[in-house]
Amino acid sequence: MLLRHLQNVRREIALPASKRAGSLALRHVDAGSCNGCEHELAATANPYYDLQRHGLNIVASPRHADVLLVTGQITIRMVDSLRRAYEAMPEPRLVVALGDCATGCTMLGDPRQLAGPLEEILPVDLRIPGCPPAPQKIAEELLGLMRDMAEHSTTRRAFVEEAITPPTRDVEAIDTKGAKHA
Amino acid sequence: MPALKAALVERVTAQDWRAACERHAQAGGRFCGLFASRGSQGLQANCLFARSDQDHVVCAHVSSGAIDTLVDLFAAAGRDEREAHDSYGLRFAGHEPMRPLLDHPVEPEAWTVAVHGHDPYQVAVGPIHAGVIESGHFRFTVVGERILHLDLRMFYKHRGLQTAAEGRPLADGLRYAQRACAACAVTNTVAYAQACESALGLAPDRNLRRARTLLLELERLYNHLNDVSAICAGVGFAPGAMAFAAFKERAQRLNQRLTGHRFLFNTVALAAGTLHIGQGDTRAAREELKTLDEEQRRLWRELQFAGSVQDRLGDVGRLTREDAVRLGAVGPSARAAGVHQDTRSESPRLFYGEFVPATPEYASGDVAARLDIRRVELAHTFAILDELLTISFMPGGVKDLDAPPNGLGVGRVESPRGETVCAVQTDGHTTGRLHLRTGSYANWPAVAHAARENLLPDFPLINKSFELCYACADR
Ligand code: SF4
Repeated sequence: MLLRHLQNVRREIALPASKRAGSLALRHVDAGSCNGCEHELAATANPYYDLQRHGLNIVASPRHADVLLVTGQITIRMVDSLRRAYEAMPEPRLVVALGDCATGCTMLGDPRQLAGPLEEILPVDLRIPGCPPAPQKIAEELLGLMRDMAEHSTTRRAFVEEAITPPTRDVEAIDTKGAKHA
Repeated sequence: MPALKAALVERVTAQDWRAACERHAQAGGRFCGLFASRGSQGLQANCLFARSDQDHVVCAHVSSGAIDTLVDLFAAAGRDEREAHDSYGLRFAGHEPMRPLLDHPVEPEAWTVAVHGHDPYQVAVGPIHAGVIESGHFRFTVVGERILHLDLRMFYKHRGLQTAAEGRPLADGLRYAQRACAACAVTNTVAYAQACESALGLAPDRNLRRARTLLLELERLYNHLNDVSAICAGVGFAPGAMAFAAFKERAQRLNQRLTGHRFLFNTVALAAGTLHIGQGDTRAAREELKTLDEEQRRLWRELQFAGSVQDRLGDVGRLTREDAVRLGAVGPSARAAGVHQDTRSESPRLFYGEFVPATPEYASGDVAARLDIRRVELAHTFAILDELLTISFMPGGVKDLDAPPNGLGVGRVESPRGETVCAVQTDGHTTGRLHLRTGSYANWPAVAHAARENLLPDFPLINKSFELCYACADR
């Protein structure tokens, strides 16, 4: 019964299974958020978005990660751990600022407790604005990032040319299906 | 339901501080927070008590920099005193050892409880966790796989929101209260608004009370659905976790439709309402909630008969009633342990009528009871929402109370995780001091206590059954 219920959720809203454009291993670090960005990032795994099917996985260690997803304002108590997580990642590595706090748009708090904007601490490759960005937006941006990486990767090129989905298809699928039932 | 009165402030000398607080406890006052502030006359210690008739605040000027501890009277004051010490330099005579809370010394000896013996060893987790989880550090002292003791080191996410709000116009404080935590954004802002309105001698009218109650219950709805999903994930039961995550998504989409934001941000204003929901929209929302309720009820039956779930819940992470009261636990976790308290039944500034706190089928204080209390409370929330949404919503406003402004206001609101208390000292129309003591703040010591004697691999499940925020405890 539970599984049947889930099947219905999928049937209503799920994306069509797309051809893979590779995969990305994501490591999330909360550097001082309000927990909103975490909720929405976690929501990208719910049956409505189910990002894992596209090869986007949250991994437990920075050593396995291609992408560091940073949320929140960077507090003085988190800045060292954040740097260590980045240093532990293999290259090439990317940093994604998730949400207005991490992109440095809406700083709020006591300057004595904050280490400064993320871009002054780590090189930021992608900014996902929003407070918090909706799961749909996060999904679109991360899928876009994955495709960009696939296109630029020489080692993967042969595979990618065969398998890559046209860049906008997934995104549209999320849009229309998600919106219809919103 | 108590009558709507502003908090009563009692000013005492530093010598009388402890005796005065003891008197309030004897008169039936429930300790609900302690904080330091700095005024024109220097340091001040403040202690909050909830009583059936009215909230009370005991204030004492501390010229010597030290005041008697209350921690032996109210164990719940432990973290409050440590925070007042670290951020205001207030010393508490008799609170030994004073372990740092905000300060993060490197040596664990400074902030952990010493455990002696041959076999115990320590397991350190965090501040960065394995999944999409907020930052915080847990240090377990373990024998074999059994947890002897757990020390928490939090405040990694301390953004200084309270001090940043000081000196700003009162209405600005809402942004700071909201930023403390997304999942409790409505609770925190309503508590802040109530505190300010109480300090200014204002009371919300019927429309405003209805609107805030609606927002609070919408917040509880998606949070409770999220918590059930989290507990299912905690036992590795993916179908349940996914099904309830999908329910949560639907609840948040409803929030978006009704208020323009999935987390209901910016829906609470000071001394004014913001909500405009017409008859058509309330009707549609009622319909949607009705289907959601029916579907989630069906899935609860499934959960009840899923052996792989049920076998993991009983007798895990038990918090006794005595410990819950002693440690000042609040909210669903306290009610699951048999504590009959819910701030919704003491909220004359909201629209709950004669609200009766929920009780789980068995108040066993373990993960099973904490899961079950969510089932009961979800039913209440659906019922409240259904009733509220029978008529449309108008912004509403405030009216004058007879009480004159007294410079200090208290707001108490039941968040999805328990009572959140906000105290605001006003300085004309600016914030002198903002203190936010959230349900999560109150409950973290209970998590550490409930983890004792359990297996280390069960900790994630125990933690998820409380499902506390780090953000609104660290602020
Ligand atoms: S961007 Fe918004 S939701 Fe995300 S952490 Fe910052 S305040 Fe919270």
